[in-house]
Amino acid sequence: MSIPRGVSRRAFMRGCAGGAAGVWLAGCGQRTPGRRPDQRAAVEPDMGRWAELSQLVLKRIRSAGAEYGDMRAVTTRTQRVSAQDRRISNVSESFDSGYGIRVLYHGAWGFAASDDFSPAAVEETADLAVEIARASASLVSERVKLAEEPPHVDRVRTHYLFDPFGVPLEEKTGLLLAVCEALHAQPLIARSNASLWAQRDSKMFASTEGSHLEFELLATGGGFSATAASDGAFETRGFNLPYLRTGYEQVRDADLAAAAPRVAAEAVEKLRAPTVTPGKYDLILDAEHLSLTIHESCGHPTELDRALGYEANYAGTSFLTPDKLGTFRYGSPAVSLVANNLLDGGLASTGYDDDGVSCQQWDIIREGIFSGYSTSREVAAQIGQDRSRGSNRADSWSSIPIVRISNVCLQPGNAKLDDLIADMERGLYIEGHGSFSIDQKRYNFQFGGDAFWEIRDGKRAGMLKDVIYTGITPEFWGSCDAVCDRSQWRPFGFITCGKGQPGQSGWMTHAASTARFRNVNVIAGRSAGRDTV
Amino acid sequence: MSTARETRTPALRRGLLNQDLTTREQFEKIAELVLSAAKADHTSVSFNDAHDATTRFANNQVTQNVSTRRSSVTVQSAFGQQVGSYRTTRLDPVGLREAVERAEAIARVSPADPEYLPPLPKQNYLALRTYYESTAGLNPTRAAELLRPVIERCRAQSLVGAGIISYGTSAVGLAASTGLMGFERRTDATFSLTASAEDSSGWALNSHRDADQLKIERLTERAVSKALASKNPREVQAGHHPAILEPAAVAGFTSSLLWSASAKNYEKGNSPYIGKLGTQLLDSRLNIRTDPGQPDLLASSFDQQGLPVKPMLWFDRGVLTQLWYDRFTAKKAGKEPTPFATAVVLESAGPAAPSAEDLIAKTKRGILVTNFWYIRSVNPKDMTMTGMTRDGTFLVEDGQIASGVKNFRFHDSPLRALAAIEAATAPAEAMSTEQGKSLLPALALPDFNFSSVTRF
Repeated sequence: MSIPRGVSRRAFMRGCAGGAAGVWLAGCGQRTPGRRPDQRAAVEPDMGRWAELSQLVLKRIRSAGAEYGDMRAVTTRTQRVSAQDRRISNVSESFDSGYGIRVLYHGAWGFAASDDFSPAAVEETADLAVEIARASASLVSERVKLAEEPPHVDRVRTHYLFDPFGVPLEEKTGLLLAVCEALHAQPLIARSNASLWAQRDSKMFASTEGSHLEFELLATGGGFSATAASDGAFETRGFNLPYLRTGYEQVRDADLAAAAPRVAAEAVEKLRAPTVTPGKYDLILDAEHLSLTIHESCGHPTELDRALGYEANYAGTSFLTPDKLGTFRYGSPAVSLVANNLLDGGLASTGYDDDGVSCQQWDIIREGIFSGYSTSREVAAQIGQDRSRGSNRADSWSSIPIVRISNVCLQPGNAKLDDLIADMERGLYIEGHGSFSIDQKRYNFQFGGDAFWEIRDGKRAGMLKDVIYTGITPEFWGSCDAVCDRSQWRPFGFITCGKGQPGQSGWMTHAASTARFRNVNVIAGRSAGRDTV
Repeated sequence: MSTARETRTPALRRGLLNQDLTTREQFEKIAELVLSAAKADHTSVSFNDAHDATTRFANNQVTQNVSTRRSSVTVQSAFGQQVGSYRTTRLDPVGLREAVERAEAIARVSPADPEYLPPLPKQNYLALRTYYESTAGLNPTRAAELLRPVIERCRAQSLVGAGIISYGTSAVGLAASTGLMGFERRTDATFSLTASAEDSSGWALNSHRDADQLKIERLTERAVSKALASKNPREVQAGHHPAILEPAAVAGFTSSLLWSASAKNYEKGNSPYIGKLGTQLLDSRLNIRTDPGQPDLLASSFDQQGLPVKPMLWFDRGVLTQLWYDRFTAKKAGKEPTPFATAVVLESAGPAAPSAEDLIAKTKRGILVTNFWYIRSVNPKDMTMTGMTRDGTFLVEDGQIASGVKNFRFHDSPLRALAAIEAATAPAEAMSTEQGKSLLPALALPDFNFSSVTRF
């Protein structure tokens, strides 16, 4: 699905998100001031001369003979508050400001970034980007061509109710200490961790094609964990806020302290639980758990740069090569995965990517068939697509944008969770994230989880531990026979998706409804004597 | 005041990195400005000025080419046990004063941290050579010249090359109101190549502070020869097989042996080593030590807290001899705090096998692993790890490489697999994309759990 022609982005997003879009776009094709005074961030100190500096750079790039160039300046403010074992272990903030200049010269890229906003340094950085692109051009045989994108002039702002940077630190430290206290009320809890995190990015983007974009983006997250220990054994149970583009309201709504006693009790139950007996099981995987499975087994193999070999030396390639597009059976007909960068609160819902391409929604897997990639303008053109999907993102001013997984979401089905459980003889119900690993083409994976319950004769029984399930991606998704309805649909975000050289941390959200998978191989994740694995 | 940024020179072309890196005197001025503005009981300054560049290639051509300059200061302030920290990239006097004010404002409203300790006093640091002009003098044109023969070699063998050459300089400084003062200029360079054919690949990677010591030609030959030798891979059934792990594979598989040695976890009950300190955990021929003076490793003379690095013995003939003590746990236990364990060396306490070829020659049937990838903890209690073989996995039969094989997943623990080894070579330069540079042997293991096979 793409944005219908003639419909403004703002109107379109309101239509999609029922009036509560995660990214508030203040008009299409014009700059308008923010309407909510409580949400207007002060102009960051380094952004005051943006118009002058960006014009200087774009002029310099053009006169050097480059066919394309852009400048992106970002000021990032981050706050972390952490507690460990009943004490506040860290309260820190950071201010990180700089700009990156990207140049396409004779079909080759150059990129230079600096934190020095003096006009002389900005000019010098632009010249360096051109010089680097010239060096690249000496080792380029296939020139880069960019898929067409109309120029955009726009302003994008995350919608939120409460600015996390405006919430008193005492409220946050008090909350985390209360969580720790509640966890340690369970006598066997030996360790506790709790944290809150917020980041604001003020970003400017200007390109030689005439795009001028301004962003005020916010994200929040947090969570806690408890480790129960006894006689040399230990087990951990966690509770995570989903990283989202939203304000402090998600912390207040979640009521972390109220959830702590249950989490501590489950850590103790997990400690006492028996190790799983290896074998074939039906699995019911909750939305949080599935977010990681989707990320690794669907998100990464549908990054087009990987499929074209760009990451062969590091993150790897993909079994989903372009010849499979539109025909390959990736999963059962119950499986539809949609990339939705218009998702309410999604981390990749930023209005535009760092190519200046507007965010979109499209099919990745449609009723089990491989249907689409996440792309940049560069790689979209390589497989003959006339427009990029807008998934080219940098993790900071100092990084060049690379293809990133979008907000890839498992579409809800019609199943009811109770019916799925009632219909199972021998199975496992898995919540949350655990151990994860997958091969570099994204076929062979193994996942753990945070908590595991045995299902016997249609009923949820006690907890188990050391559960690891393994499989081959298309076989696993082929075994999905039911996805729950929207009542089970929840989003979870990631801010530590490693990719690229130099390494970058990608941000995206995966929403899903709880789903069932039949006859999956389960092993016991413990030291591998010949009798166990 | 003249900070580094104000004295940067415009010419970057001779060497990309070596023109205007922050000097000790410039760092001292920054530290003085921060400390003189501070009102807290204790203040510490952590400084980093880094200039890094990477030329990246794939499909036998340059796909990305970047340079980044970033300088930052972190101020940590403490009133009693109340602590706050603020990091900034604004290094002008206004920005530095703002950092002090913000760190102090955070500290004043933060609850007292019972584990907080004031910054270290003045320390004595080893004089390590950490800066090389050979690295600082690189530039994008020279990087392209170094990569041209690599790409040509891949093309000549009908292979597809992907990789990087990266190089960076940094100036790192620490100072505190207690008199702590450390400053070091560092360089590092990295080369890596993955050479791919239709159904096979080979890989090599090295980092060094001295770019002239990267051995690009030798690494290229290694990656190319592995890609060629592993063509037409056979499928060998998963299961427990004898294994020969090359040094890069050993790097990934054994890293948790040191990372898991936290004294705090040991004391609190969530350590795999509980009750095992001073006991035989690995084969009695294996020593693990850290050796910051080793010139092929990338040690620094002080860690992030300002503790001086020093040589340490962690496993003595297979016996775990010490834990890693943070400053608070050390004080409570009456021990010395442990500096960050850098520059790891794993070596055979007895005579070493002459080479990996020798290990192959003595293997009746087994799997030769070039590298592991996506290594993750599965079970922290017994240190079970999982991961995939990558970029050169072979079947060894009757003392020779018989063929390439499809890649395996493993589930195993270094505490189990290294409890008894067949043989070890002398340590060699080793690293993986997930594990920094060490000196490690190739290991022949009698039993390794290759738990499943993938499709390539």
